[in-house]
Amino acid sequence: MLKILLAEDDLDTRQFVARGLREHGHNVLAASNGEDALHLALTETLDVIILDRMLPQLDGLSVLKRLRVADITTPVLMLTALGRIEDRVDGLHAGADDYLVKPFAFSELAARVQALARRHIPTSVSTRLHAAGLEMDLLRREVRREGKLIPLQPREFRLLEELLRHAGEFITRTMLLERVWDFHFDPQTKIVETHMSRLRSKLNDGFAEDIIETARGTGYRVRTA
Amino acid sequence: MTLRLPLPRSASYRIAIIGLLFYICALVPLGIGVSYATHAALLNQIDTSITQLSTTLSNEYRTEGAAGVMRVLTRLRSGGPVPQGAALFTADGRMLGGNIDTTLPPLGWQQISLNDPQEGPDPARALVSRLPDGNRLVVAADLEALEAINHTLFGMFGLAALALLVLGTGTALLLARYLHRRLAPITTTADAVIAGNLQHRAEIGHTHDEFDRVANSLNAMLNRVAALVENLRQVSADLAHDLRTPLVGLRNQLERMRGEEDMPLKQARIEHALDRTDEVLALFDAILRIAEVDAGHLTKSFTTIDVSTLLNDLSDSAQAIAEDCAHTFTAHITTGLYVSGDRQLLAQAVLNLLENALRHTPAGTHVALSAMRKGNIIQIDVRDDGPGIPIADHHRVRQRFVRLEASRSTPGHGLGLSLVDAIAQAHAGQLHLVDAQPGLLASLQLPCEIAP
Repeated sequence: MLKILLAEDDLDTRQFVARGLREHGHNVLAASNGEDALHLALTETLDVIILDRMLPQLDGLSVLKRLRVADITTPVLMLTALGRIEDRVDGLHAGADDYLVKPFAFSELAARVQALARRHIPTSVSTRLHAAGLEMDLLRREVRREGKLIPLQPREFRLLEELLRHAGEFITRTMLLERVWDFHFDPQTKIVETHMSRLRSKLNDGFAEDIIETARGTGYRVRTA
Repeated sequence: MTLRLPLPRSASYRIAIIGLLFYICALVPLGIGVSYATHAALLNQIDTSITQLSTTLSNEYRTEGAAGVMRVLTRLRSGGPVPQGAALFTADGRMLGGNIDTTLPPLGWQQISLNDPQEGPDPARALVSRLPDGNRLVVAADLEALEAINHTLFGMFGLAALALLVLGTGTALLLARYLHRRLAPITTTADAVIAGNLQHRAEIGHTHDEFDRVANSLNAMLNRVAALVENLRQVSADLAHDLRTPLVGLRNQLERMRGEEDMPLKQARIEHALDRTDEVLALFDAILRIAEVDAGHLTKSFTTIDVSTLLNDLSDSAQAIAEDCAHTFTAHITTGLYVSGDRQLLAQAVLNLLENALRHTPAGTHVALSAMRKGNIIQIDVRDDGPGIPIADHHRVRQRFVRLEASRSTPGHGLGLSLVDAIAQAHAGQLHLVDAQPGLLASLQLPCEIAP
């Protein structure tokens, strides 16, 4: 269960997102303007803050800047309007950890919130990742399943690394495009699917169980044993 | 209260009046100059003849005395070009004889007044000289000629000014009519377009002058506007069609779901419905993306992009897609290519071209990506040896929503090449489609940037 602050002025969006997050078992605090959001963020201990870029009284960017000045490092997911590339850049400059373009699919938001909360837990700097019989050595750039060495292309390696860092959680197609390809747009191609299917066939070659789970419309995750 | 002239407002009147004022301003110093020069020349001539006569009479007086002078004076009476006369005086001013009526002026050059029995006092110029016996000789010339010349000059310039005024007004009226006549096609066309007739075009004369050029530009502008409007019409119709297809699919899935008891089947229908929704969303994303690129304000966030690295990155992904759909793929990329641009957009453009070549050609097609520098241009080529596109369709495929299959039933939304085109233009570059015989060559040409 995560404690999440949701700052969004549009009533419909706020209710829809809050209900969805609560159904996922999270504790949601909702704010409809920037002042309230800032107050809650300064007084409560939160896991993730979802901040709309445009808020009445105090806009999302200012709230974010003040939080960072106050040394509050809670991960922030910024919601921006569609088609405003500059907003994304501004948000990331001001210290947002991730951003999402409105309107968004709820599953996309849920996956990102989960990923942000995970990222916030300070993990020891590790050069090895494992999950479900998979072992990845980041230094030697080697992947083994049950001890069997599996040669991967650099892109496939990056893809698997991203999945392993969030083992057990769904990573969406968009997140993979951003993190593995650095594409902050939807190329409207099957580039992720193509690479994922190649990765999957390499990983599963000689094994009965499919190690990567696909959730239609949501994304991919590495099963945790 | 303002005074309204009973004339239509026309630039030609203003031009004519200003021109007229200029001419008159030029006329005044000209008149003064001419009058001054004429005066000086005439006065000089008068003085010369006075001096000559004075010398003649002095010599006559010395040899023949006063009687000789009188004889000469009577011969002179018949008149020359300048009517002149002379008189002899004693030193104390008593007149001894002569043919002019005046009192004795002081010695030297003088302006005097002659008493004409008919016309009264006349201004005259006189030279008074002392004779050897102390008597005075006065030689005078009438200045009436000078006045007459003044008069003529004044009349001439007055007439000239009047002629100018008449000519100027005439010109203004003619010019106004001419301008009106030449501008009429342009005004008529604009009015027609305002009234809703977008097909109306201005008539163009044969002189290729300013008016013809303006009319020409107007027509070119209207052609462009008409093409855009037509494109918009086409886009709206195609958009409606492209939206209808997934929406109808979505509706069907929902309808069948309503009565479905079987859970797995219901689940499958939900997945289908979600797919249809994603299609609609993808379509809108593409439209918005093109609009964003077209708006052109992205330029300010441009940075220097290492195209070589970017393309190597992309060919990595293209390789995977090629294998996936049984194509072969090769890349030949020169290192050290830089352009000023947006990495995301450039990646999207090249990826679109690669996708086009890989997805819309039969299995076994070879796709080649190459990039090189040609002078100040960076040329990124995506070439396939598939069936290609008929040359007649090369222009059409860049338009939004155009897909060559008439059925429009294949996947994709037909926005790929128009997006690439928009991205190329946003980078001050161009997209060329060339018949590669066999296959298609899509060539993206961007202005080259120096390495950072």
